[in-house]
Amino acid sequence: MSPAPSRATKTEPWAIETRALHFYYGNVEALKNITVRIPRLQVTAFIGPSGCGKSTLLRCFNRMNDLIDDTRAEGFVLVDGEDIYRPEVELETLRTHVGMVFQKSNPFPMSINENLTFGPRMRGIRDRSQLDGIVEKALKSADLWREVKDRLKSSALALSGGQQQRLCIARTLANDPQIVLMDEPASALDPISTGKIEETIHELKRDYTIVIVTHNMQQAARCSDLTAYFYLGELIEIDRTEKIFSGPARQETEDYVTGKFG
Amino acid sequence: MVSSSVQAFEPPIRTTSNGPPVLPPPAAPPGAARPRRNRWRDFLRQGVPAVWFTGMMACWIVLLLIGMVTLILTQGMGHFWPATQVQVQTNSGVFLGPIRDREEVPVDDASREAGEEPAGRILLKIGNRDVHGLDFRWFDGADIRSETQPVHAVVVERREYGDLHGYLQRVQVGEEILGEGPAAWDVLQREIRLANRQRRALHQLEVRYESIRQPLTRLERELENLTGARGRQPGAAERRAVLERRRAIETARLESQLNEIDAARTALHEQLAARTAVFITADERERTVQLDGIVRAYRPNRMSTPQKIAHYGAKVREFLFAQPRESNTEGGIWPALFGTVMMVLLMTVAVVPLGVIAALYLHEYAKQGPILRAVRLAVNNLAGVPSIVFGMFGLAFFVYGVGGVLDRSFFGGALPNPTYGTGGILWASMTLALLTLPVVIVATEEGLAAVPRANREASLALGATQWQTLRHVVPPNALPGILTGLILAVSRGAGEVAPLMITGVVKLAPALPLDGTFPFLHLERKFMHLGFHIYDVSMQSPNVEAAKPMVYTTTLLLLLLVVALNTTAIVVRNKMRRRYRGAAL
Repeated sequence: MSPAPSRATKTEPWAIETRALHFYYGNVEALKNITVRIPRLQVTAFIGPSGCGKSTLLRCFNRMNDLIDDTRAEGFVLVDGEDIYRPEVELETLRTHVGMVFQKSNPFPMSINENLTFGPRMRGIRDRSQLDGIVEKALKSADLWREVKDRLKSSALALSGGQQQRLCIARTLANDPQIVLMDEPASALDPISTGKIEETIHELKRDYTIVIVTHNMQQAARCSDLTAYFYLGELIEIDRTEKIFSGPARQETEDYVTGKFG
Repeated sequence: MVSSSVQAFEPPIRTTSNGPPVLPPPAAPPGAARPRRNRWRDFLRQGVPAVWFTGMMACWIVLLLIGMVTLILTQGMGHFWPATQVQVQTNSGVFLGPIRDREEVPVDDASREAGEEPAGRILLKIGNRDVHGLDFRWFDGADIRSETQPVHAVVVERREYGDLHGYLQRVQVGEEILGEGPAAWDVLQREIRLANRQRRALHQLEVRYESIRQPLTRLERELENLTGARGRQPGAAERRAVLERRRAIETARLESQLNEIDAARTALHEQLAARTAVFITADERERTVQLDGIVRAYRPNRMSTPQKIAHYGAKVREFLFAQPRESNTEGGIWPALFGTVMMVLLMTVAVVPLGVIAALYLHEYAKQGPILRAVRLAVNNLAGVPSIVFGMFGLAFFVYGVGGVLDRSFFGGALPNPTYGTGGILWASMTLALLTLPVVIVATEEGLAAVPRANREASLALGATQWQTLRHVVPPNALPGILTGLILAVSRGAGEVAPLMITGVVKLAPALPLDGTFPFLHLERKFMHLGFHIYDVSMQSPNVEAAKPMVYTTTLLLLLLVVALNTTAIVVRNKMRRRYRGAAL
């Protein structure tokens, strides 16, 4: 699988960039002046204690926070150099471009096939052979093809927990996104399923920019290229993962990653 | 704490542990330091009375249900079984009929002292209303001299005057006698079938006559409208002249055709009038019955069990699919059954889109806030408004308001006779639709709330719009709940009577709201309804004893209808759940 030409020719070096981003739930400031750059075709992990704003930031990247009443964002979020909080931005296009995998697997109560083709069908793709191709490619990318290829018509809810989560990843990939956001994708899974998800992430890195929120520091250390540490709505530090885990610049980061705090 | 149940399996702590006992076993005699346990307080604290009390209440409900179903089943299902005819010789005469009831007559103190035994009495359906003036009569046990079960006793179901009880004398056409005595039974059955066929043919002739004469009838009605105050309006005279000329032309055109039918009609009439059967009652009176006035004749005392079952089946079929007779106490309830189902269908067609769409807006699009809360409160309160209030609203708004406007705009020719400005099935259905609207809205909202937030988020995160999410992701999860609500609404609507009484239900509707004459669906027509039928037959009937079985049978049918609706709903909902949720759950 080779990256689409549009990806290679993008001049903008950063997949996502925020500038002085503040985010509020009502009067509570959840993100304080975040300026961060996420490089293309790499895995970036967000770590930090609960309530530090890492999920909120992730949900700013595809504007899922819009669904929550009484929230507002100040500052800039640039995806491929374009400010996504401009009013003329079409949310559907943005979310197709920036896919998201949630903490709890959430397949639709439909067949596996219908789950995977949901995104393309919503964009108006009706051609059966084209849809079949999308399904196969997405399932192979998520390493699920061998397990479910014979029962695409059966209910997605009959799959195991780990399979369901990989199905959700495949469903996101079927939309052909450039960026995949993962909000603690393995936190509700057993170690074996977690391992499979991590392998999948490793494979996906070649074609997609991945941002992953995780509570599990080993996971961040194992599968990410960059790691960002957040605390109380502030970005404390972002650097190469090896550096964060071996000798971070800030004392707070070291306390957190060595387990002295958190 | 060592509980007593554990003690049963393990030796007490005291014997196994080396140290002093931690807790004395509960069975040990109370020490001076430990206060005696208050059993009564424990009893109360554990809520034993509450368990008993709540259990008792639940039992009451179950008993009530069982009692209700048993009553309706026993009373409603026995009515069609051919009961044994008993000939009773009493001091006041001889009577023939089935025994409907037996009871003990309590004796007063004076009689008991005189050594009198309490005597029984029986209720006999004596039939022959044209002879006796009443169908049912009590006979004191003391009056009865003998009871026999004559083999040849005949029950004749007539179209008028109820059942005739007696013995077959002869069957005749004019003066010609076709058969005499009990031997003429087969002839009687054949002739009844023939007469009923002719009767149906006659009815068809009438219908054809009316439909051919229709243009003439319409002209006559218009002419009639031109009399009185309207006749003095300018231009009325010319209009009348035009109409009269047209009437003359139509009369000339249709005359030969109409005369032909008329002749056939008269011939049939004469034939039918000539076919008669003569019966003799138990008290030796002769009754002559025209054969087409007989629905069926049977001899219950001679019938074998299979024959009785066949008779039962035929009666049930008649009950379901025939017109009522004898001011609704005999015959069928087809118009009421049809009216109920049709009204429920119309109501559903009206309430489903309205309720579901309103709920979709309230739940999916409307901005949460005080206004929405107020609207929701109003909807919930609407569900508690007494149904007769909806009936009044229906009468004022639909019948007089909308119906009045429709009449003035489109049916001016028929005024002052109202077309839509009076109760009818459409307005009754609309009123019930309003009545059940809150149920549908609340159920739909609950169904929508049952859609997991995760599914909505997943859909939106995949680039679907709000509307696409609503169309593709919401239904699988929400439909079972929505359907349940709809069925609840439907079964509530099916059983509602009060608002119908003022918006279009009648005791006896001359025609069904759906028939073969253009435009087939007559929404302005009045209709019959099972619920109202029950009320009418039980409370408004001139012949209470005769009506009683009919009431129970109709109640049974209404109950079955509602149970059937509910069962369908549950089955559909469960199927849907299985289909969408997959085999794992």
